[in-house]
Amino acid sequence: MGKKLIVILGFTTAVLGVILAVTPFSNLAVVPIIIAFICGLLIFLMSKKDQNKPKSIQYIFLMTIIALVLTIYKSVYYTSEVGDTKQLEQRDEDNLEDSKELLEDIEFDEDL
Amino acid sequence: MKKFVFAIIILCGYYSIAQNNAIAFGEKLVFSASYNMSGLLTDIAQVTMETSEVKTSKSTLMRLKCTAATYKKFDNFFKIRDLYESYVNPKTLTPYLYKRDISEGGYYKFMQYKYNHKTKLVQSLKRKKRKDGKTWDENKNVKIGAATKDIVSTLYYIRNLDIHKASPGDQQDFTILFDNKETTITLKYIGKETISTNIGSKACYKLAISIKGSDILKGNNSNLLWLTADENKIPVYAKFKIAIGNGELKIQSATGLKH
Repeated sequence: MGKKLIVILGFTTAVLGVILAVTPFSNLAVVPIIIAFICGLLIFLMSKKDQNKPKSIQYIFLMTIIALVLTIYKSVYYTSEVGDTKQLEQRDEDNLEDSKELLEDIEFDEDL
Repeated sequence: MKKFVFAIIILCGYYSIAQNNAIAFGEKLVFSASYNMSGLLTDIAQVTMETSEVKTSKSTLMRLKCTAATYKKFDNFFKIRDLYESYVNPKTLTPYLYKRDISEGGYYKFMQYKYNHKTKLVQSLKRKKRKDGKTWDENKNVKIGAATKDIVSTLYYIRNLDIHKASPGDQQDFTILFDNKETTITLKYIGKETISTNIGSKACYKLAISIKGSDILKGNNSNLLWLTADENKIPVYAKFKIAIGNGELKIQSATGLKH
């Protein structure tokens, strides 16, 4: 029963780790990766006692490694830089021109 | 994500002031907005606050511009390209024209307020995009109070407060016009604190912000803003708690300061 629970927890966290590692929130994947790794290790130790090697260990470790590699790769190679802002700059310029026209019509009731 | 951006900007308030002596033309502040989960920070977007001079045939105004743009890694996930601007009197920071042009993950909205301070009326224009790509406009006249301002001008207005005269625990209510509705926010002075920032170690005024009648900002004294305790009073750090977690706003660079 306990072993089954650890296998389920290990699988869930390993899958969550992979999903998070793929998204931009990759550094949040560290937590599920650690839990999945611990679960994998526990299953491995428990199976050693029982003398049988379930496939689940391989899957959990495989997913953990994929998620870990992705997370490390992203943290090393991805820098925080802003993407394409051409459209924003264009909107900025258009708004400024439009605002200048609008401001011509506005009444100022104080000394500027 | 909309709430996230709103929370970043709502972290401000104002007291009535006479003269602007903290903000100069050509000032540029760059911030990094990040999402914080149990200490694990994920940088999400770059927020900039810029001022410039705008000349019309009758007057010279100050353009206060705030932009938010997600970092490259987030662009495929949820792309934000927001523009907020307010045209104000450079001496008193009284707003005359406000524009909000936002594009957030395929959602587009444009808001424009034309102020008439004599009649205390705001001519509001709302523009939204339909699914077929066509836009539709909604015009409205909104009655405002004498001290009501938009979010951007409030953001700058706060820097002219005489915080050095305040005692810890002092608080005041302010009114902001957002989405054609007047919202009251409360600003509370907590005390002085020295914090380490990307522009050096700074002695700061620590302020807590809350919104009346809204549950966007969670917790008591969990939404904080640090302004440098000098004449520039630049915001260097902000922390906020919303339904989806905690956010942070950290200064990256500050140029063109008045003092």
